[in-house]
Amino acid sequence: MGSLSSSMWIAAQALDADQGALDVTSNNIANQNTPGYSREVAIFAEAAPTEENNVTYGNGVVLQQIQSITDQVLQIQIADQNQQQSSAQAQYNALQQVQTLFSNPTQGIGADFTAFFNSISQLSTDPASMPDRQAVLAAAQNLAGDFNSTEQNLDSIQSSLNQSVTQNVTQINTLTQQIAQLNVQVGQMQKLGQDPGSLGDQETQLIQQLSQLTNVNQIQTENGLTLTTGNGTPLVVGGQSFALQTTSGPNGMTDISSQGQDITSSLQGGQLGGNLQIRDTAIPSMLSQLDNLASQFSASMNAAQASGYDLNGKAGQPLFSDTSGPGAASNLTVAITDPSLIAASSDGTSGSNGNVANLMAVQSQALPSGEDPLDTYSSLVSQTGNLTDQAQAEVTASTASLNQLNDQLGSVSGVNLDEETTNLMNYQRAYEAAARVVSTVDELTQSVLDMGSGVTAAP
Amino acid sequence: MRVNPNFTPDILTDLFQQQAQEQTYIEELSTGQSVNQPSDNPAAFAADVENQSLQSQTDQYLQNTSNLEGTLQTADSALSSVVTSLNQAISLGVQGGSSNLSSSDLQALAQQVQSIQGQVVQLANTSYEGSYLFGGTSTGSAPFALDSTQPSGVQYNGNTGVNNVEIAQGTSIQVNVPGSQIFQGTGGSVMGSLQQLVTALQSGNTTSIGTATTQVSNALNYLSQQRVFYGSAISQLDSNQSDLQQDQVNLQTQENTLVGANMATVATDLSQAQTAQSATLAALAQIIPQNLLSYLK
Repeated sequence: MGSLSSSMWIAAQALDADQGALDVTSNNIANQNTPGYSREVAIFAEAAPTEENNVTYGNGVVLQQIQSITDQVLQIQIADQNQQQSSAQAQYNALQQVQTLFSNPTQGIGADFTAFFNSISQLSTDPASMPDRQAVLAAAQNLAGDFNSTEQNLDSIQSSLNQSVTQNVTQINTLTQQIAQLNVQVGQMQKLGQDPGSLGDQETQLIQQLSQLTNVNQIQTENGLTLTTGNGTPLVVGGQSFALQTTSGPNGMTDISSQGQDITSSLQGGQLGGNLQIRDTAIPSMLSQLDNLASQFSASMNAAQASGYDLNGKAGQPLFSDTSGPGAASNLTVAITDPSLIAASSDGTSGSNGNVANLMAVQSQALPSGEDPLDTYSSLVSQTGNLTDQAQAEVTASTASLNQLNDQLGSVSGVNLDEETTNLMNYQRAYEAAARVVSTVDELTQSVLDMGSGVTAAP
Repeated sequence: MRVNPNFTPDILTDLFQQQAQEQTYIEELSTGQSVNQPSDNPAAFAADVENQSLQSQTDQYLQNTSNLEGTLQTADSALSSVVTSLNQAISLGVQGGSSNLSSSDLQALAQQVQSIQGQVVQLANTSYEGSYLFGGTSTGSAPFALDSTQPSGVQYNGNTGVNNVEIAQGTSIQVNVPGSQIFQGTGGSVMGSLQQLVTALQSGNTTSIGTATTQVSNALNYLSQQRVFYGSAISQLDSNQSDLQQDQVNLQTQENTLVGANMATVATDLSQAQTAQSATLAALAQIIPQNLLSYLK
């Protein structure tokens, strides 16, 4: 049978539940701009009824659960898109620095080649002229200097990428440690059927940050998540995190290993993957092309020098220092300082320009690598342009799809103020109504108590 | 349907993209180029590197052409003076050939021819910017020296080398004729005939004087033939110069096609981008303050 006290009890429970719901709403509003926050919903349920004399009495409401609204599949897609976007962005940032080295068609190695051959062409009109010979030397020095500085600039971009790689590894290790800690708690809560709520949000957020650094595979197990790199090297298993180690490799570049195994070449995606891609593939390829160009060009020039005679009638000496292998471009120097040593003459007389044709031929003849010097250089420039262009297109595309995925996730998990305000008003009204029930029942109880006091003994 | 309530990242991305686009247009307008770095258009940028090189080479060919004009014109005008000198020598020879001259008159004529001989040697030693023009490729020292022990009266210290200079892609031009060929050629030796005339005048033999005068006249003809080389080289340089100037115009047009910006299009694009940006900003300003709370008191 219903009673005033049970009504009071039901109202008090309703007050509790509404207060809880108001808390949830308040928490949602408070976190509307918190990155990674998933909106929460108060789930009400009817309390178990009591049955008495074949009448079933409802026992009010309970706040059964506070549920985080999110979408695991979307989260995984976002993580994947994150690593692509971060990788493309890291590559684009580095390549932009690289392409500025080649950005001026009227300066740099390409223009130097032309200026150098122009100075030789000028010398052909007056082969004994010291000023013209001096100009050839100066142009050669310019060319060598730009070879040096271009390679050195590439080297320094490479070593700054190397620093980023080391930093990325440190960040990854910090994140995997934090994730491992959360992973235990979240796993336990999930095992008990509880909603991990903000702990889950935090873990997801950390995994997103980790994806921005490298490609991460997520496997859901009984004991929480297992995270591995793209090729299966474990990062987090349950409550344990596996730190990546950095060691200095033979070429001065940082190698990355996990449990004693070098995994540098298998790491892909994210900032780390992007940085490694440019550090270990793009820049080394440019460096070796530049080195080949420097050594093949200087060898051809020296051979052309040797086929002629200098101003003193002596056989031509090498114009450039003999240079080959890695670092050839940065070691390229002009071997002679005396302008009279330029071998313009083909017969040993000072006025002959017969060997100029041989010197000039280097400009248009294919080097062993297949193209003439300027073409070799300009194909390096267009390669750099293509790489940068591709990276830029990939940044644009992956940013767009990342935004789209985030929009989708936002439509599921985002805090909508209109919705929260509506909920706020609903819970407020419900709370007020329940409070009114309390005061009504209180009045009724008062009436019951007053029942006795109003009756006085007859005189 | 629920939509993403947090639209600011999307709008900001749009705004950033619009701003980046505007900056690109502004850069294109201010540089006049649509390709400002390799990634803007890798193929066009690489082609522009080649184009710049060709333009610079063409400049050098023009420079070579004008340097050579100086050399060749100096040589040509020296030879023109030699022609004048030889004509004087011929008239002196004709004068010496008439029978009524005294021995002292003939000696005086011989001296005059000797002085012409000296002038011709001087002309044969003409230099331009420190290089002797008629010494073959031996340009460092004077090619001709008077030497009475030689049958031609001079010693040739030059060689028979010739130089060629590239004046356009794949086109070279010979820029000198060795002095031995001009002044001591098999078709008529300028130096030899002058020496012969001096000797003849000194000897007073009328027949010898006549023969020698004919020799000088032959040498003059031969020299004039040699001079044609310089004249035609100069006219080749002239026509080469106008060809190169045309090349320059073509290369600049090509450059403009490769990397130049179409100003009218870019300006229109820029104003469209600006309109789009202000529309986005206006939308943002209207949407942000709007939610249910604004209607509750």
